[in-house]
Amino acid sequence: MNGLGAVRAVIVFGLLIVLHYTLRPLLGWRAPIDFLVIAVLLAAVRIRPGSAALFGFALGLATDSLNASGFGASALAMSVVGFAASWMKAIFFADNLALNGFFFFLGKWGYDIVLTIVEQRLSGGDMVTQLLLWSPLAAVNTALAGIVLLILLRPVLEPSRA
Amino acid sequence: MARSVRDGSRRDTLLFALCIILAIVARALPERIRDPIAAALRQTLVAPLMNLQGSAERTRSAWLSYEGLTISRDSIALRAMQVQTLESENDRLRQLLALGARLGWGFTAAEALHGQSIGEETTVALSVGSDAGVRRYSPVVAPEGLVGMVQSVDPGMSVALLWGHPQFRPSAMSADGSAFGIIYPHASEGAERFLIELRGVQFRSAIDTGSLVVTSGLGGVFPPGIPIGTVLGEIKTTELWARTYLLRPAVPPPDVRSVMVLSQQRATAGVQRVWTIPRADSAARAIVRAGDSLVRRDAAIASAAAAKAAALDAQATAPQQVTGAGATPPAAAPAPVRRTAPTTPRTTDSAAAVPPVAPPRSLRPDSVVQTPPPPASPPVTAPPVPTPAPVIPPVIPPVIPPVVPPPPPTGASR
Repeated sequence: MNGLGAVRAVIVFGLLIVLHYTLRPLLGWRAPIDFLVIAVLLAAVRIRPGSAALFGFALGLATDSLNASGFGASALAMSVVGFAASWMKAIFFADNLALNGFFFFLGKWGYDIVLTIVEQRLSGGDMVTQLLLWSPLAAVNTALAGIVLLILLRPVLEPSRA
Repeated sequence: MARSVRDGSRRDTLLFALCIILAIVARALPERIRDPIAAALRQTLVAPLMNLQGSAERTRSAWLSYEGLTISRDSIALRAMQVQTLESENDRLRQLLALGARLGWGFTAAEALHGQSIGEETTVALSVGSDAGVRRYSPVVAPEGLVGMVQSVDPGMSVALLWGHPQFRPSAMSADGSAFGIIYPHASEGAERFLIELRGVQFRSAIDTGSLVVTSGLGGVFPPGIPIGTVLGEIKTTELWARTYLLRPAVPPPDVRSVMVLSQQRATAGVQRVWTIPRADSAARAIVRAGDSLVRRDAAIASAAAAKAAALDAQATAPQQVTGAGATPPAAAPAPVRRTAPTTPRTTDSAAAVPPVAPPRSLRPDSVVQTPPPPASPPVTAPPVPTPAPVIPPVIPPVIPPVVPPPPPTGASR
């Protein structure tokens, strides 16, 4: 990734973070789109696993600052998702939208699983409902939004061929 | 090459492990340490994002509240539209209740159902029938006056003719009983088709515009005294020996919703004072109040005059007391002379200055407009005076039927 590509990627990630804190509360869905996970996954396929883990840790810590009771849980989950996504990028990030959508789905669902387990806020039936119903639904929404963003941002994210 | 890859992988693993350890440490931090770190992040790096999130939340709340407000506004507007209808219906039902209280007995409340087809605007279906005691030719009345009469009766419902029906011809008279005639529908087009005519009035019996016309009781169907309408003016006809008057009906057709059907016994017993008692009562109360105020004013004047006379007497007798027999007690002050009541009783209306003893010229005993009996003991609360002043009884003038200023009788001539 050259310098121009890095700048464009940073702009896109910044846009995704802004969307996470504007569009997501504006929609107010019960199974919301997680733009931070999309940002981490998009970044993870462009950087090394260690950097992806560090990037996920930073974003997760920022998220944790708004949730003092679960401080550290999101950082842990984001680090895991970023590292894993970067490690598996050769498998998933082919030029296939459906595969990318599945990648987003797995990333969001894995993030929710780690977050729910580490946070220990839910237990019993609530945890099962969250992990088997709401988290997959949120993962589906995130995957769809990720596919749309990939289609829209592909000219920006792909390195120039010139 | 392989070594660099291996070093890179090792560095990634170390970074990942470091992140995991830091996250676990952050998770395990005690609250007193964790909260300052979170607060520092919120106040620095995350502050712009928090502002964005707050703006989005407010926008969403405003959007949701806008929808709620729109729904509330629509609901309020809908209710406001219904309020006027409910108020008028409430007033109507109150009037009907008052009429029922005045009638006392021998009536059946009914809903009048208007037909929608042509020719049915002069008939209504009533929601009561012979099961409720309704009989053919029973009078149908409303708080304002006469509505019609029952034409056909079924067990559960009945059909009534309104005053606009060609076959509806009750005998009528002026409220003072000076003129008699027959009610006919006014054969006209447009809004004037809802007017009615009083035909066959003797030529020497003129009725003033605005006079009330009531049922006369002749014929035995309708009891005397039910208001029919108000005179709008005289109609010029080819009949030279009788007069015809155009009347505005007391009950407009659209208001015929809730009515009362009088039983035959009630119609036979009469409905005198049912439609006129409130007006007479209010007039009598107003006159009594005026009489009370006059008595109070006279008493006050008499008291002041007595005080003044006592003061003058005291001045006149003071030198005599100084020079004469001082042991003699001062003469008692003479009783104050109260002004004698004027020969003509005071009234609040110059038109009512005539003594009320003489009844109207041709007041029929069954006329609906009757002079209310003078109160036996008007509530006089005069202040104490040296000599009790005679109380002037309030004068009750003959009740004049309310005159409603009629609109100009446009198109009154046929």
